[in-house]
Order: sequence, then structure tokens, then C-alpha cells
Amino acid sequence: MKRWHIILVRLAILATILAAWELLPRTGTVNPLLLPPLSEVLVTLKVQLARPLVQEAILITALEVIVAFIIAVPLGAAAGVAIAEFPYAGAIFKPMLFYVFSIPKSIFLPMFILIFGIGFQQKVAYAAFTTAFVVLMSATAAVESVKSDYVLVARSFGATPLQILRRVYVPSMMPVLLETLRISMIFNFTGVMIAEMYASRTGIGHLISNWGENFQMPQLFAGVIILSVVAIAFNETVRYLEARCSTWRT
Amino acid sequence: MRRPDPRTVRWSILIGMLVLWELVPLTGLLPELFLPRLSKTLHVLWLDLDKYFAALLVTLYEVAIAMVIACGFGIVAGATIGGIAALRELLLPVFSSLYAVPIVILYPIFTAWFGIGSESKIMFAGIYGFFPVMLSTAAGIRTIDPQFLLAARSMGATVYQQITRVIIPASLPTVFGGLRLGGALAIIGVVVSEMLTASAGIGYLVTLNRTILDSPRVFAGILAILVLSVAYDILARALERRMVVWQSAGRKQQDTPRPIAGGAPAPAAA
Repeated sequence: MKRWHIILVRLAILATILAAWELLPRTGTVNPLLLPPLSEVLVTLKVQLARPLVQEAILITALEVIVAFIIAVPLGAAAGVAIAEFPYAGAIFKPMLFYVFSIPKSIFLPMFILIFGIGFQQKVAYAAFTTAFVVLMSATAAVESVKSDYVLVARSFGATPLQILRRVYVPSMMPVLLETLRISMIFNFTGVMIAEMYASRTGIGHLISNWGENFQMPQLFAGVIILSVVAIAFNETVRYLEARCSTWRT
Repeated sequence: MRRPDPRTVRWSILIGMLVLWELVPLTGLLPELFLPRLSKTLHVLWLDLDKYFAALLVTLYEVAIAMVIACGFGIVAGATIGGIAALRELLLPVFSSLYAVPIVILYPIFTAWFGIGSESKIMFAGIYGFFPVMLSTAAGIRTIDPQFLLAARSMGATVYQQITRVIIPASLPTVFGGLRLGGALAIIGVVVSEMLTASAGIGYLVTLNRTILDSPRVFAGILAILVLSVAYDILARALERRMVVWQSAGRKQQDTPRPIAGGAPAPAAA
């Protein structure tokens, strides 16, 4: 298929979904109380975005996401590089990581609440905790993605460790590093959302769970749209950078 | 000096953590409200065993159905989308974009639609597992070596033979990988949703006891979930090894758990 063909078909699919969202509740095929028509949701979205309460909630959520990310990435990356670079540490910890990954991290939320309360710190701590594991694993994979031949060649030509780091490790890890950032951000965002939905007084996650409990469907769908758009926009930006940084590989 | 065997170190770490769990609250380093003693946790688990067992049964029931949804639809959709070039070009990038959305934000919609009973948990966990299973199957199905098919065809294999002798065995590792991932995600999804809004299940028990600050019972619930997810992982991994043993000719495989593999998705860490 040609490129513009693909785009046309995708737009057609999107248009069909949006049209169905508008028409099914309007014609009564679907109960409009359960699925409000798209136009109604969009009007609500505009109204909600103008409310100071909602703006404040979005700001707090954004801060939580950013702070948690700043804490989790260096911690996870350091541990991940250590596991990849020291075979003995790897032999000890790598098998444990499998189990850690399959455990639902949310079961530790009660501990975070007992220690940090239900404020800003608890959201950041929990999200950073869940994200650090993802960063750790991705960082290990990133280091292991560097071909040992490259390092060997560089070393034979008398490169210093610093040069090896700058000229071999960083360029070959770049695409994987960006992928790591992207994937960790997805989990970081999820972590903040779960923590806010579980127990909170503010934040957009708290708002949508409240709207859900009060059966305010237009508001709930408006909140879901806001969050989805932000998440997808961030993801696509990093994916674009990823593609640009990995052109030399192929 | 010879370093001790990594396996020994792992077990020592585990035992050390259990000992610390008993000693730290005992010596008062952390209040028992934050971390109740291991012995006390096990004691309340024993006292309320029937309650925890009943909750676990509800959770397992939800996990089982969610797993069927996540794995069944995920593997079939992933194989279809990954196997057909036109669909792959058309849909795969869209699904990887959608994957960025934290699915947990859809849970309030499900509770509004299906109530706070098992249905909303099953739907949520099913969808939670569906996307990663589908994406990893779509990525895995493409790794089948076309040389295998070419060889089979040149030796005069019929279409039926090609499917049963080449395609199915060659895709087994992908399918089992999908099953393991889907099951793990179904457990996570059910536990998360039970903790958020529910009236039964092990996640609900944890949340209920947290709101009344009954720490030993909270930790008993956490312990039960830990055992459940680790047991599942061991079981799934053993099954996987047994089924795809021919691929590695019985050699022990050394791999890192990679949350990312060429655009394949990460198992969720929620």
C-alpha cells in the first residue's frame, strides 16, 4: 500500500469511530447516559478545562509525573548499568527481576500511604518506585545492546574508557535509551494515575475516579480524552526522535 | 577467595529480608503500624485463612476469565495483524501509539457500565492484558524464519503440512510468551481494579484493611498476592521451557527480562 493510502484508511477508521460515538447515543441505539454523544463530551471538556479546580488538578498531576520521573530514571539506570556491567551482580539479580516484574506493584500502595500519607510525596514515591524497575530493565537491555565487537575494536585502537563511553556506548545506546525513556514514561504516568485513583484529594486521576463514582459520564469521558491526548502526544514526540536517532543503524 | 554461588546469594537475600521483616518491627526501628512482624502477619493469615481463601478464589476466577480474553483475543489478533502485511502496516503503528494511554483511566468507565462486581474487573484486566499480548505476538510471529517454509515447500509439503509441521511449532515460543505475559497482566489488572473499586477479592481485602489501619491483615493480603504472582510465574516459565525445549536443543537459555524488544511492548509494572 502507498503511504497516503494508509493515511486515508486510518483517517476513515477514525472518522467511523467518532461518527459512531456521536450517532449511536443520539439515535438511542446505545443509552446516552452510559455513552454521552461525542459533541456533548467535547462541550464538557471545554467547560471543565476552564475551571480552576481542574486546572489545578492537572498542574499537580503534571508535577507529580515530572518529579517522579526525575527521581526514578537515574536510580533505575544506575542499577541497570551495574547489573549489565558486572556479570556477578547480573548472575545474582537478573533471575530475581523476572519475579519482580510479574508482581502487581499496586499491592505496595498501602505501605506508601502508611509512610507518606496521601499527598504529593506519596504519589511521587509510588510512581518512582514502579518506574525505577522498568528503567532498570531497559537500561540493562540498553547496555547489552552495545555490540562487544565495537568495544573490542575501540579498545584495540587504544581508546580511553571515556572515549569508549562517548564514541561507542552513547551512540549505539541512543535509540534504546530514548525507547527506555518513552516506555518508562508510560509506566510513570500509569503509576501516578493509580496512586491518585486509589487515595487522593486532588489530581486528575482523583477527579476521573470521582466522576466515575458519581456517574458523571460526560465529565469522565472528557477527563479520559485529556489524559489520552497528553499521553499519546508525548509518546509520539519521543518516537519521532527515536526514529531520527537510529537512522545510522540501518 | 572464591565468590559464593549466585544462587546461594539469592536465597540468603530472601532469608535476610524475611529475618529483617521480623526483627525491624521487633526492635522498634519501624512502628508495627508501618511494618507488622512477619510472625504476626502469618498468625492473622492463619486465623483468617478461610476469609483469605474465599477472596483468593474470587480473584482467581476473575483472573482466569480475564486471561482467556487477553490471551485468546490477543494471540489471534496479534497473529492476524502481524502475519498479514497490509494489516500490519495499517494498524500496528496505531496500536503502539494507543499503548501509551494508561489503561487504568478506563476503569471508572467500566465500573459505571458493568457495576462493581466481577464483570468490570474481568473486562478491565482483559483489556489490560490484551494490548501487550497482541503487540508481542505480532512482533513474534514475524520472527518465523521464511527459510523453514521455503524448505518445507521445496520438499513438497502440502499447505496442511506446512501449517502443522512448520508454522505451529515455529510460533509456539511466541504463543507461550504471549500466554505468560497475558496471565501476569491479568493478575495485575484484577488486583489493581479490586483495590480501586470492588466488593470482593484479595485486592479488596487489602484496601478494606488499610482503611481501618489493620496493618497485619494488609500485609497478610500482600503476602498472599506475592505468593500468587510468583507461583504463577514459576509455573508458566516451567511450562514454557518444557514446550519449546527443542528450540534451544535443551541448552539453558540466558536472557534478560527485556521490557522492550524491537517495538514489542513492556509487561506492565502497575
